[in-house]
Amino acid sequence: MLVHALLGGVIYGCYFTLIGLGLNLVFGVMRIVNLAHGDVLMLGAFAAFFLFHLVGLSPFIAAPVVMVGFFLLGLPFYYLVVPRLALAKDAEMLSLILFFGIQQIIEALAAIVFGSSERSIPGRVLGVGPFHFLGQTLSRAWVIGAAIAAGAVIALYLYLYHTRSGLLTRAVMASRDEALASGIDIHRISARAFAIGLALAGLAGVFAPFMLGSVTPAMGVSVNLAAFAVIIVGSLGNPLGTVAGGLIYGVGLLLMQTYFSAWADLLPNLLLIGVLLARPTGLLGRRVRLA
Amino acid sequence: MAAWQKWWPGLAVFTVVVAGVLAGGARADEAPADIKIGHLHAGSGPYASISMPVYDSLKLWVEQQNANGGAFVKAYGKKIPLKLISYDDQSNPGTAATLTNQLITQDKVDLLVCDSGSVLTAVSVPIAREHKMFLFDPTGTGAAFFSKDNPYIALLADPVSTVWPRYLWEFLKSDAARLGAKRVALLYSTNDFTGTQANSIRAALKEPGSPVEIVFDQGVPTSTSNYSVLIDNIAATNPDMVLELGYVGNDIAFLRNLQESGQKFKGVFTLYPGIETNVLLKNVGASGLAGVFSYVTALGLTLKPEIGMTVEELRAAFEKAYGEGGVEFGWNAIAGHVTGLVIGETLAHADSLSQPDLRRAVFGLSGKLKTLVGTFELRDDGAQIGELTPIGQFDAAGKIAVVYPPEFATAKPVIGAP
Repeated sequence: MLVHALLGGVIYGCYFTLIGLGLNLVFGVMRIVNLAHGDVLMLGAFAAFFLFHLVGLSPFIAAPVVMVGFFLLGLPFYYLVVPRLALAKDAEMLSLILFFGIQQIIEALAAIVFGSSERSIPGRVLGVGPFHFLGQTLSRAWVIGAAIAAGAVIALYLYLYHTRSGLLTRAVMASRDEALASGIDIHRISARAFAIGLALAGLAGVFAPFMLGSVTPAMGVSVNLAAFAVIIVGSLGNPLGTVAGGLIYGVGLLLMQTYFSAWADLLPNLLLIGVLLARPTGLLGRRVRLA
Repeated sequence: MAAWQKWWPGLAVFTVVVAGVLAGGARADEAPADIKIGHLHAGSGPYASISMPVYDSLKLWVEQQNANGGAFVKAYGKKIPLKLISYDDQSNPGTAATLTNQLITQDKVDLLVCDSGSVLTAVSVPIAREHKMFLFDPTGTGAAFFSKDNPYIALLADPVSTVWPRYLWEFLKSDAARLGAKRVALLYSTNDFTGTQANSIRAALKEPGSPVEIVFDQGVPTSTSNYSVLIDNIAATNPDMVLELGYVGNDIAFLRNLQESGQKFKGVFTLYPGIETNVLLKNVGASGLAGVFSYVTALGLTLKPEIGMTVEELRAAFEKAYGEGGVEFGWNAIAGHVTGLVIGETLAHADSLSQPDLRRAVFGLSGKLKTLVGTFELRDDGAQIGELTPIGQFDAAGKIAVVYPPEFATAKPVIGAP
């Protein structure tokens, strides 16, 4: 049971890395807390659900469609909301309130439009039968979810470290004021990062029906809690630190389910409290905020 | 004196007649413009999928009553329109508590109906009791809500959790054990609803002489959305029969993960496939339900109601009213209809709208009211004990047939089904 929990935790944790990746990128670049991140993921899940049931699109094809769609929606949304927010004295705190409101609106509208019943996509569309690895039987959805997450992490790494736009993004992450003084168009770079964050949330959403059993308009809140635990444990503001956070979260969750199952939902809170007390910058972090 | 004696009988009759007319007139004048029914529902959040069908169905019943001039209210001797005041608690118990208070103290409702499910019912029970307000409880089945010192509650549409699994443990100790399922794994969500059922099943299976052994017994948070590791841990204990007790989302995740895991157990029981069959079929598929045991509700029985609609009539009315709005017709929609029927009969029998009279009227219906879910019967603490919850098993086409108790059985149980 221990080996299965550890191995399964690493595989399952990769998906939580994907959940936290976009949130951390947005915070790292803009210092805003997107409390609607979980609801964007939920919208991605419903997009995949309808693309499958209405058009017959496999999640593997729906994933790039959703990512492109969310990216394109993210650009105008950024210009509508974030530049005004950035002018505020305490943009970080105001972003909490603003995105909490947006989260509430998205959830309410989704409940009206989609209804409150659980929805999912048949597991067979990902293939039939589990994977066997190191003597352990692992869910096919977990392994595919982990592969998708690994692909997203590598793509983000390549973007940040091997493209000019990524270089500018890292400059904004390091110091927004200095980037502005250097002549970098911080809004163009930030808008791109914001849109990438939404696209990553959408991608995670496409596979949510397989990883989380089913989807409902209410799922955003619990996804947010997991995402925040992941990025704070890994490193707040450092997208690639999310990998460590996701793996720790996944292994911790499965160990809790194995040995203290009734207390498993305490894990995000325990991780948050533990890391904030012991190492407020996250396990792989550097100081990114004063508040 | 003689004249007085001569006129006295006539005067007495006149006085009685005038008093009667005045009293009647006063009663008519006092009749409210509407009867306020206070209700909570969860329009969003984790309990929305069990709460919204109850709300929609109750709303439908109120609309049908009002289309006929309202509900007959014995206290006023006439039909009075109903006004449903229903607030959205968003599946948040704290919000549900605040809104329960608001319904009682601000809206001053005549009848109070709590939200669906035990988690959200739990907060309304003490508030209703504190305000001496009788609580119409549609589906909150937690055993802790019902005690002899609390006269302010009645469970309307579901059997209390301690009674609900009676046929299940009887089945496990008789037919299932005889067919070779003697090692049982018990996995449950830790909430009042399924936790109480688990306690009840555990106690019955551990009775002296029980042929069944519990080899796995763990609770998980109701928020659990992935059971893969738990299924693997259960398999390690080599059970014959796995009982998974959770809410809709739990059962969907469990059955999907079971399919994906490749693990096989001789028998699997889960709670919601027989309760919200449409939702489970859409999410798990008929192949995922094949061989699964579950409770059989009115959806799978053909009970003839003496009052209200049949299941098919209600399904047609519900789907006509709400179409493809995302709220599935299932057991909870039936529960909403039953709640309306009990409210209607209560108003038709209560001498006044005072809370003690409402309670007397509700308890007066016990054993006499036969709805589409069976006989409405209350224990003296308000717990529902009259409805049937036989055990059924799904076939490969996604149909459920009763396999226990023998007097209702339409098929034989198969242990080791795919």
